Amino acid sequence: MAAFDYAPAIVLLPFVSFLVSLGAALYGDDVLPKGGALAGIVATAGSLILSLWVFFTVSAGNVYNQTIYTWTTGAGAAGEEALELTFGLLLDPLSSMMLIIVSLVALLVHVFSLGYMNDEGETGLPRYYAGLGLFSASMLGFVVAHNILMAFMFFELVGLCSFLLIGFWFREPGPPSAAKKAFLVTRFGDYFFLVGVVAIFATFGTGRFAGAESFPVLAEEVLAGEVAVNTFGFAPTTWFTVVGLLVLGGVIGKSAQFPLHTWLPDAMEGPTPVSALIHAATMVAAGVYLVARMYGFYAVSPTALAVIALVGGFTALVAATMGVVKREIKQVLAYSTISQYGYMMLALGAGGYVAATFHLLTHAFFKALLFLGAGSVIIAMHHNENMWDMGGLKDRMPVTYWTFLSGSLALAGIIPFAGFWSKDEVLYEALVHGLGTDGGLGTIFLVAYAFGLLAVFFTGFYTFRMVFLTFHGDARTGQARDPEGVGWNVKGPLAVLGVLAAVTGFVNMTPVADLFDLDIEYLHRWLEGPEGVEFMSALSAHHYLELLESDVTGIHAAELDPLIPGGVSLLLALAGVGLAYALYGRGEPEEYTAKLGGVQDLLYNNYYQDEYQVAIAERVVLPLSRAADKFDQSGVDGVVNGVSSVSLFSGSRVRRVQTGLVSNYAALVTLGLTVLLVAFGIYGGWLL
Amino acid sequence: MIIEALIGFTFLAALVVMLAPDEYAGRLAFGLSLLPVVGSLYMWSQFDATGNALLEGGSLAFETQVPWLTAAGYQIQWFVGVDGISLPLIVLATVLSSLAILSAWTPIDSRQSQFFGLMLFMEANLLGVFTALDFFLWFVFWEAVLVPMYFLIAIWGGPRRKYAAIKFFVYTNIASLIMFIGFMALVFNLDVNTFGLPAVAVALRSGGLSGAFGLSPTALKTAAFAAMFLGFAVKVPVVPFHTWLPDAHVEAPTPASVMLAGVLLKMGTYALLRFNFTMLPDVATQYAGVIAIFAVVSVIYGALLALAQQDLKRIVAYSSVSSMGYVILGLVAYTQLGVGGATFQMVAHGLISGLMFMAVGVIYNVTHTRMVGDMSGMADRMPVTVGILVAGAFGYMGLPLMAGFAAEYFIFQGAFASSVIPVAPLFTAVAMFGIVIVAGYLLLAMQRTLFGPFRLETDYEVTRAELHDTLPLMVLLLCTIALGVAPDIFFTMIKEAVTPILAIGGGA
Repeated sequence: MAAFDYAPAIVLLPFVSFLVSLGAALYGDDVLPKGGALAGIVATAGSLILSLWVFFTVSAGNVYNQTIYTWTTGAGAAGEEALELTFGLLLDPLSSMMLIIVSLVALLVHVFSLGYMNDEGETGLPRYYAGLGLFSASMLGFVVAHNILMAFMFFELVGLCSFLLIGFWFREPGPPSAAKKAFLVTRFGDYFFLVGVVAIFATFGTGRFAGAESFPVLAEEVLAGEVAVNTFGFAPTTWFTVVGLLVLGGVIGKSAQFPLHTWLPDAMEGPTPVSALIHAATMVAAGVYLVARMYGFYAVSPTALAVIALVGGFTALVAATMGVVKREIKQVLAYSTISQYGYMMLALGAGGYVAATFHLLTHAFFKALLFLGAGSVIIAMHHNENMWDMGGLKDRMPVTYWTFLSGSLALAGIIPFAGFWSKDEVLYEALVHGLGTDGGLGTIFLVAYAFGLLAVFFTGFYTFRMVFLTFHGDARTGQARDPEGVGWNVKGPLAVLGVLAAVTGFVNMTPVADLFDLDIEYLHRWLEGPEGVEFMSALSAHHYLELLESDVTGIHAAELDPLIPGGVSLLLALAGVGLAYALYGRGEPEEYTAKLGGVQDLLYNNYYQDEYQVAIAERVVLPLSRAADKFDQSGVDGVVNGVSSVSLFSGSRVRRVQTGLVSNYAALVTLGLTVLLVAFGIYGGWLL
Repeated sequence: MIIEALIGFTFLAALVVMLAPDEYAGRLAFGLSLLPVVGSLYMWSQFDATGNALLEGGSLAFETQVPWLTAAGYQIQWFVGVDGISLPLIVLATVLSSLAILSAWTPIDSRQSQFFGLMLFMEANLLGVFTALDFFLWFVFWEAVLVPMYFLIAIWGGPRRKYAAIKFFVYTNIASLIMFIGFMALVFNLDVNTFGLPAVAVALRSGGLSGAFGLSPTALKTAAFAAMFLGFAVKVPVVPFHTWLPDAHVEAPTPASVMLAGVLLKMGTYALLRFNFTMLPDVATQYAGVIAIFAVVSVIYGALLALAQQDLKRIVAYSSVSSMGYVILGLVAYTQLGVGGATFQMVAHGLISGLMFMAVGVIYNVTHTRMVGDMSGMADRMPVTVGILVAGAFGYMGLPLMAGFAAEYFIFQGAFASSVIPVAPLFTAVAMFGIVIVAGYLLLAMQRTLFGPFRLETDYEVTRAELHDTLPLMVLLLCTIALGVAPDIFFTMIKEAVTPILAIGGGA
């Protein structure tokens, strides 16, 4: 297929724009028109066009799973065949959908940056666009990766870009610190991921995601007793669960799940377009995408699924409660992002592969929209992000308001906006699998469902608290009364995403489909993939369902009308919105959350999550390293210096023998000779 | 003949530079040092060796073997040649020497002809170490490397240079002595009449060893292994024999640090691979658990020490201890990726640590301080240098598509399923935690020195670095990326040379 031949260019085009901008950054700020933005726009537009081409090619029933470059080969164990460490593309429904999300959002963010960065007179623009270009390339490379090692490599590269872009304003103290924290916390997760990658190669001899010789398929065959692999002395189920949880470490780090979510709110120190692209729509999605990518492997491990569901549900609730009290608009959005990725994890854990992918899709659009909308507000407010200084922006910036409202309705899960459909499906899957599955696993799903359901209320509340505080009521400061205007380059991306946030949900309206018995679950059908392609059957949604329902995993769905749980969650969302309206939507808003007292402090300080993590770093690791240093200098090196002083000391004593007096020497010679003679005598048996 | 030409030319160049006037010495030395680079790259392009230099079934490239003299019934030969293990290190040594010479132009402002002459003299001996295949010849080069390094530290070093130089010299020299005794104990009780390393290796494995000093052959082997391991472990350095390293690095002038970390440490790991792990695989595998403990302790303890440092150079110095720990882990794994990755790491770490030392040196040239607390926001004043330093630091942290990641990944993959190391997955997983600590101390140091508002506690005007200061950094960065994207530049020949070792180690 021609589209697949050009597919590597999807990754390479933004990489070229990175090189162009990097060259410009070395040479000076004004070599390129618009500081390198145009190169990035052209490149990401090219990627988007190619991604669409790939998408249509896939929808015509073609898929692609080929190695294009062999990094190296080598045997990792005695008597084993050499491992093939390769780069290659896996273009199937999941990855082609993700390609469009990433390249579209990247393009819109590049355009938006013209308004947010160029028009605001920032310096160092080539460096900014170089970072965006490298990020886009790395993220797209991650999406198309056909094996887990390649995925890991690009996973790390997006982490680097995140570091560089969060720390873009490196002359201030905040951003470099936030950048460090983001990289370090995600690196902690990636450590487990890398151990997992190594373990996967050591176990299966391959890291491929798809094909007869891929590790999810092999795992399945091992559990069916058809083949045997080295499971390092563990039972296969145990070992696969361990490996799955190791990889999950990287997922929890990158997708900002509890307890490694602490870096994401700090990452808001970066420029807002970066937050929209990296810390909302794409990089944070990488973790969830990875689980979806290798879902066949997780689907055979009930323990791993339970952990994913529980972590997801818990994160969704906890992050949503923290979003309730934040004062800065981007902070609300950051916690909301954590919470929404929690929903996706919840869905994946509870056996809702399609639901998770669906929510990934809708969330990418509406959260990118909200961040860009917040960016527009921040431009208008002259970079003041405090919502308490805003108010009444509705009439002064209508495009931003209406698009932001579209995104907010989607986030809160109000029918018929995108988030309603996807979140509803997430919760529905968790509920029916919780009810239908026996034993502890079902209970865990139900607990996770309860977390997720409760979070719906908080989501509705914090979303509309944000909307009312920002746009409604009267302007509370001069800045809000006289906001700076924004140009087409801001409004254009907002309009595109505003429409998408409203309509994307229609691709998979499961409740409507069930109610009227219509065949309109397009996303579901899309993720089934084309028939008749060999490797595709193992990646299809129904195959995952078979795995989940197999005896190994034992997850089953209860029969349940989707209308009732859908109605419940909608009512909860509306209740949240209503409470927000009652508290903040009328007249002069007050900081009602102050009445929560200690609870507000707890929430505002994020349950002191940061504190204990900082304490581990500063009160445990650093003192440990200082103690090691002290031990090294006085202990280890002390021995070394001790040996040398002993030899110096003995040298100085022995030196006294060299008196220079001939009579002394004569006496010593005689003495020595005598001692030798006696010694030899005793040894030879002549004496004694 | 090309090996002789390279070594001879470099010795000659050293002599010429020694005699040249000070003001031209730097440029002359750099110009002359380019020829060995070209020569080593030519060797790379013409490389046709197969197998391992020390084991049967291999054939050397560029081999010369002529009798030199006979002593006590033992034949000493001029015996040089390369295989897939030594060639990458030769390329590393020539490239890094040239770049280190270039980086010395700015900081070295006295007795230049001697300085640059000594650098070339050291390079010549390094080439000898990596090509010599006769123990006597090899030992001469091995010891001769110490001499120029001693003077480089003692003359052009920092305030405590005398202490550091003597500590370095005495420590490594005593280690060499122990190693020498260990090896001699083997050879003198072995059924050979030559110091040729391949002959010794073959004889050792064919059971030609007789007992001595009241020890059985096995016990003698173990004792010799221990003596040689100790000798080389000091050079690597393996914890707890590492304390000479930070002192030497902190006091050494930057170009000497580059050579020390970049190439001299690899002498230790190279020798471990050639002697301990190739000649005495049965002992190595028997004590694999103990050796793996040394490796893991070096990784984690070295990284913790780096975290505690306030001097940028000390940070990089201690991080070398950590990185070399990975090499030991890879070697003892006795798998293709393990031993191959360890060899690859020798090159990768040479490039990246060279880059880091040089970048810290460039900053020191303009700020005259290396203390973390003395500066911040250097990115504002030295964007290019800092940019490269950041890239290098990420390379050190194991960023994919840079050489360090390839090397470390190979080692991890090779060690994880090793049948030689007991509980290999556990050892590997613990060692891998080093990648988190390394990110911690490098990011912390970068945040405090490079970013934030500009501040400098010394009375120097920060100027832009010269092109000849930043050029070596860029070259090293590009080499690092090239090897990370296409590790097969070296890894194919490395695999060829390490595979025979696995068979004798019971690892393949």
